[in-house]
Amino acid sequence: MQQLAHIQQVLWAVNVGIGIILLTLLIARENYRVYPVFTGYNLVNLAQAVSFYIASRRWGYTSRNMWLFGWSSQGVVTVARALAVTELCRHMLARYRGVWALVWRVLCASALLVMVYSSFAARRKWELALPAVDRSLELSIAVVIVMLLLFARYYDVLAMASDRSLALGFCLYSCFSVVNNTFLDRFLYRYAGLWNLLGILSFLASLLVWTWALRNPLKEALPEEPLVASGVYESVTPEINARLRALNEKLSRFWKPREPRR
Amino acid sequence: MSFSMFFFTGLVVVLLLLLAWALRGPARPRGPEAVPNALQETGKRHVSFLPAIQQALGKTDFEFLAQRGPKELVRRVRRERRHVALTYLSALRTEFESLLRMASIIAKLSPKLAAMQEFERFRLTMEFAWRYSMIRLLLWAGLAPIPQLEDLSELLSALSVRMETAVREMGERAALAAKLASSLNGSDMDAAL
Repeated sequence: MQQLAHIQQVLWAVNVGIGIILLTLLIARENYRVYPVFTGYNLVNLAQAVSFYIASRRWGYTSRNMWLFGWSSQGVVTVARALAVTELCRHMLARYRGVWALVWRVLCASALLVMVYSSFAARRKWELALPAVDRSLELSIAVVIVMLLLFARYYDVLAMASDRSLALGFCLYSCFSVVNNTFLDRFLYRYAGLWNLLGILSFLASLLVWTWALRNPLKEALPEEPLVASGVYESVTPEINARLRALNEKLSRFWKPREPRR
Repeated sequence: MSFSMFFFTGLVVVLLLLLAWALRGPARPRGPEAVPNALQETGKRHVSFLPAIQQALGKTDFEFLAQRGPKELVRRVRRERRHVALTYLSALRTEFESLLRMASIIAKLSPKLAAMQEFERFRLTMEFAWRYSMIRLLLWAGLAPIPQLEDLSELLSALSVRMETAVREMGERAALAAKLASSLNGSDMDAAL
């Protein structure tokens, strides 16, 4: 158990170190202009790590105060992450005005639905309330990112490599948090030590992905695409859909045996 | 393993699989200039290969051969007919994808989308993908009976003619839209200069 705590401390220090490198890269390469909210998120992350260290020295690692501080600061970080994900969504799709207007509504609705459902699916124990909320938020973030990338693929949108790496980092960490919180929900204190360690490791992986993606200066966001008159969409799209439907109907005839000719 | 563990772990696995698939990204991103090309591709194949495919799938030829020809030859012809059907299915898919590409380009350039139209297209895409893979599987397994295959030749001729006309009309409009988009882009740049 002590060995686990020692590994955890080392990994925590590595995480802080890479966090500082990432923040330095964001500032030195002027990538904060491209991702201002993401830069803020990293700043919040670092602040949490430092304040967590100070608090643990003052209150002790297993005290109730520490538990409350840990989860409330985690809440702030998760909100900052959600905002950074919102920025990423805008970055990828906002220049297609029509697509964005549709997609952000779908993403918000999906996130809300996932949050509500996963909150209800949690076990009713007061000490697990915060991990359950955290899991709901992380699951929503993961769903939003996957849906965002699926939308980008569906509409043939070319995403910047840095956007894709940021999405990958966010999604991996969120997915891992969901699994981690689910196991915590089941095994509670027996799992707490390992839970912390795995959480730090998964965040380290995300930090490495982001640092690699932001190692070079990036171009500022692409300008909004020029638009055509809305009449073009209104007249052409129903016709395309009708053609697609016709193709589908023809294809479905493969299934049905033909009526005998008279 | 409790239900919630099973559910959340399963959900995460699905999300990771979707993430991996989505991150592969579009093979070739297309801009407005791709619209006319996509349209030119659409529909041409059927015109060029229609007579040959109809001949290959014709009932009379096969019946004649089944009565007179050796069994080995009949089997070979059956195989080849199946191959023709599979090739045609691929052509149908190409056609479907061209239309989808065109729809997505127009959607990207439009200031407002109709959710119902977009949902309808998504539903049709899923439906097509499902049917396409099932038919392909049946054809590969040799489970598609001959009468069903024969519908193909009728399907071909009717579809080709309608598609060609429709696509030409849409192409003219979409090309106009693309041209308009390019000119707007040009005027923006002029303004910036």
